[in-house]
Amino acid sequence: MPKNAKKPQASPDLSVDIGPLKLKNPVLAASGVFGYGLELQGFCPPEALGAVITKGLSLTPWPGNPGPRIVESGFGLINAIGLENVGLDAFLENSLGPLKRAGAVVGANVLGRSPEDYVELTSRLAQSQVDFIELNVSCPNLRHPGGLSFGSDPKLLASITKDCVKAAGDKPIVTKLPPLVTDIVALAKIAEDNGATAVSLINSLPALSIDLDTRRANLAVGPGGLSGPPIKPLALRQVALCARALSIPVIGLGGIMDYRDALEFIVAGATAVQIGTGILVDPGLPIRLIGDVYHWLGENGLADLGQIRGSLKL
Amino acid sequence: MAKAKAVDNLGGGNHLLTLEVPGAPFSALGRFARLRAWPARGLGPGTLLDRPFSIHLTGPRELSFFIRQVGPATSLLASLSPGTPVRFIGPLGRGLDDLDPNFAAKSWYLVAGGAGLGPMPSIMAALGPRAKLFYGERSHKTQPDTGYLADLELYAPKAELVTATEDGSGYGQKGLVTVPLTECLKVQPRPIVACGPTPMLAALARLANQYSVPYFACVEARMACGLGVCLSCSLPKLDGTNFRVCREGPMVDGLAIDWDNVHT
Ligand SMILES: Cc1cc2nc3c(=O)[nH]c(=O)nc-3n(C[C@H](O)[C@H](O)[C@H](O)COP(=O)(O)OP(=O)(O)OC[C@H]3O[C@@H](n4cnc5c(N)ncnc54)[C@H](O)[C@@H]3O)c2cc1C
Ligand SMILES: Cc1cc2nc3c(=O)[nH]c(=O)nc-3n(C[C@H](O)[C@H](O)[C@H](O)COP(=O)(O)O)c2cc1C
Ligand code: FES
Repeated sequence: MPKNAKKPQASPDLSVDIGPLKLKNPVLAASGVFGYGLELQGFCPPEALGAVITKGLSLTPWPGNPGPRIVESGFGLINAIGLENVGLDAFLENSLGPLKRAGAVVGANVLGRSPEDYVELTSRLAQSQVDFIELNVSCPNLRHPGGLSFGSDPKLLASITKDCVKAAGDKPIVTKLPPLVTDIVALAKIAEDNGATAVSLINSLPALSIDLDTRRANLAVGPGGLSGPPIKPLALRQVALCARALSIPVIGLGGIMDYRDALEFIVAGATAVQIGTGILVDPGLPIRLIGDVYHWLGENGLADLGQIRGSLKL
Repeated sequence: MAKAKAVDNLGGGNHLLTLEVPGAPFSALGRFARLRAWPARGLGPGTLLDRPFSIHLTGPRELSFFIRQVGPATSLLASLSPGTPVRFIGPLGRGLDDLDPNFAAKSWYLVAGGAGLGPMPSIMAALGPRAKLFYGERSHKTQPDTGYLADLELYAPKAELVTATEDGSGYGQKGLVTVPLTECLKVQPRPIVACGPTPMLAALARLANQYSVPYFACVEARMACGLGVCLSCSLPKLDGTNFRVCREGPMVDGLAIDWDNVHT
């Protein structure tokens, strides 16, 4: 047998750890494309994924933006849903129980208009059956009065993360970082230093689509968040930088459309990945992707993802 | 996975796409499907997402769609060769029978504006002579050939048909279809079911209120998922809450919608 021949691996181990959380595989449904967890059961049973993350939840229901709320632009998608959601109570009452009974690992994505909102949401979720809390401090549709997303302001990022970690008790906090900042590593370190169990990145990018004929924006509110294939290269870079600099897990996302995209994030150093727009394009994608990653590891003689994680050669 | 069976050019930029779909027939009556005949990352700009289309007619292992060419995805669908695989997710959403289980026993005014003709044939087929369709286009440029309308009559024997173009350049009457509709409502009030541009649907809500008739609207909104998860398609109701066109619609009680704040 030639020296470099790969010996097929019989049954690769897909499980990953995000701090104290044991996930059966590294594929998570991202916030905003999986409803409150149960809606896509027929295509993608939530319990088959590493975890599902809810649509961003606020303390009270939010109505969101007027339409049109989405437009395709180039090879990507721009959305300005405006964070419409049913509110924390409705999620806890209607969705969380069935999700947990089905055996799903559930992350609650939370968003607020003030730092206090984040803390209150977190303390309420700390009393619930959710498995972790993802702080959405990075949505391009959500800004604090200063105009930046909460997560781009180092002081606010530090205090929100710290206070939520305290309020969360033993539940892990995942801080979802904004993508367009001068120094992503500095922000990721702030999350780490203030007790986040992991960081996730990237959120959609601030973007604009214009109709030349009418000279109007194609979305009712003007700008929105760009997601899908065009943002993958930026996401990979941000993930690679953070994974090198941090000792907590990095969860990578942005434009993942197949297993090769997902594995590139692992090579860049991600512990796990989330799929957003890819689920809108194909609700069965996460399940297929898990199978494809499993086969790829097997064919390449790899026992688990640890053998390629962060293996990017620079 | 479905397969393209035929694409018929109906004229006026309209095409009838027939798909072989395992499991068909389905109850259509306003329900829709997500269609895609291109790769996951899209085939050129603007083809990332599947597209929603009303089910036009349904038969054994077969469904048809009325497709008006307006952009990249509709152009791709309109040029499919027979045998091409087409991803089909459907039927989706709620139909007229969900809103009025007894609908087939009543006589209705059907109103279609432009590509809003899409869902009408399956409703006409269920109603036969109890259907009177008012079908309007802006001009002759988007009207399908009259042969297509004659074919429609095969599916809905004795259904009545009134056609119009706003500028009078095509076959049928000149002006908005709401004009002959209003004449009919005066003489013989009947419930209305409609599909078309938002201003037309909003005007029909006013007419339905004026003549005190029930009104069901098959509404459109830009959709990313069609499955209730992304909230792209959320529209406002008069009670202050929102509904998802893809889940709680597309067929909805047209008198409950906050039409002044619907921008699609
Ligand atoms: C429930 C539902 C049923 C539909 N049924 C039919 C049908 O039976 N026949 C048919 O021809 N079309 C139907 N449509 C509209 C159809 O989905 C769009 O025309 C199509 O997505 C356009 O794709 P495109 O890539 O060709 O053009 P795009 O470049 O995506 O769009 C071209 C133009 O159409 C507008 N548009 C895009 N999507 C929609 C939408 N969902 N509703 C209204 N305007 C839109 C855009 O603003 C743009 O100006 C339906 C839409 C919905 C939501
Ligand atoms: C329709 C839509 C809604 C979204 N809603 C949320 C949200 O509520 N909270 C959040 O943190 N991210 C939200 N996102 C961002 C995604 O979770 C993800 O970070 C981003 O889309 C990049 O990944 P992708 O390219 O795989 O989509 C949303 C994205 C889309 C497309
Ligand atoms: S299109 Fe996604 S919720 Fe209706």
